[in-house]
Amino acid sequence: MRSDLNEIAQIDQYLFRQFSEEEGKRFEARLSMGDALAEKVEAQRMAHRLIRLYSRKKERDRIEGIYRQLLEEPAFAHQLKTIFI
Amino acid sequence: MTLQYDDPIIELYRESFPDFARMVRRMGGSLEEAKDSFHDALLIYLEKGKAGTLQLHSSPRAYLLGTAKICWLHTRKKGAMLSLPEGFEPATPEEPDTEEREKKLLDSLQKSGKKCLELLKAVYYDHCSMDHIAGRFGFKGRRSATVQKYKCLEKVRKEIKITEIYAQ
Repeated sequence: MRSDLNEIAQIDQYLFRQFSEEEGKRFEARLSMGDALAEKVEAQRMAHRLIRLYSRKKERDRIEGIYRQLLEEPAFAHQLKTIFI
Repeated sequence: MTLQYDDPIIELYRESFPDFARMVRRMGGSLEEAKDSFHDALLIYLEKGKAGTLQLHSSPRAYLLGTAKICWLHTRKKGAMLSLPEGFEPATPEEPDTEEREKKLLDSLQKSGKKCLELLKAVYYDHCSMDHIAGRFGFKGRRSATVQKYKCLEKVRKEIKITEIYAQ
């Protein structure tokens, strides 16, 4: 794997706390040596935040779709209608 | 006629939501509120299931009803002392600037790299195995799928950087 992709894999290990204690210390030492790696770590943290946002939106859309489908079942729709009458 | 679906979540929804809606109605809430809280609870249930951290002490239905009730009380600000299931953070309003920035980034990513986002969702959110991902996305094997995963992360990171540069 390309060395920059290896670095991405290492940042993932750092963000998801998958490093051993020793590896974690080594990585943090590298982090403290310059801004370039720290910037990449922050961008990757943000990338994971966006992936989560995207995924949750998709999952919420799926759940909303299930609700709409169930509303087409007369028995289900009738139950809700009688509750909120 | 009752529609038939393969997804077990549909059956869980069908058999749980009316009871929750009844509970919300008794507490003075609306159908829309009941639905929103129920969807929050279902999301928690699904996410914990995918991450392998779901601890059921009773049935999925009981878990869902209990969690949905907590979510609903949270939205009504009656449940400040009630805790949500471990690992779930209730939605808190973002700073408008952050929210706007993330929305822009996500829009731009969806335009430029939908396949990458789907792949990253499968890896990090759905917790699919790399073998499964290789099959689903048409890679030769888990190694190619892993390389592609990191290339996609790199692509997202670059997009973030570009957006930041333009924002400055």
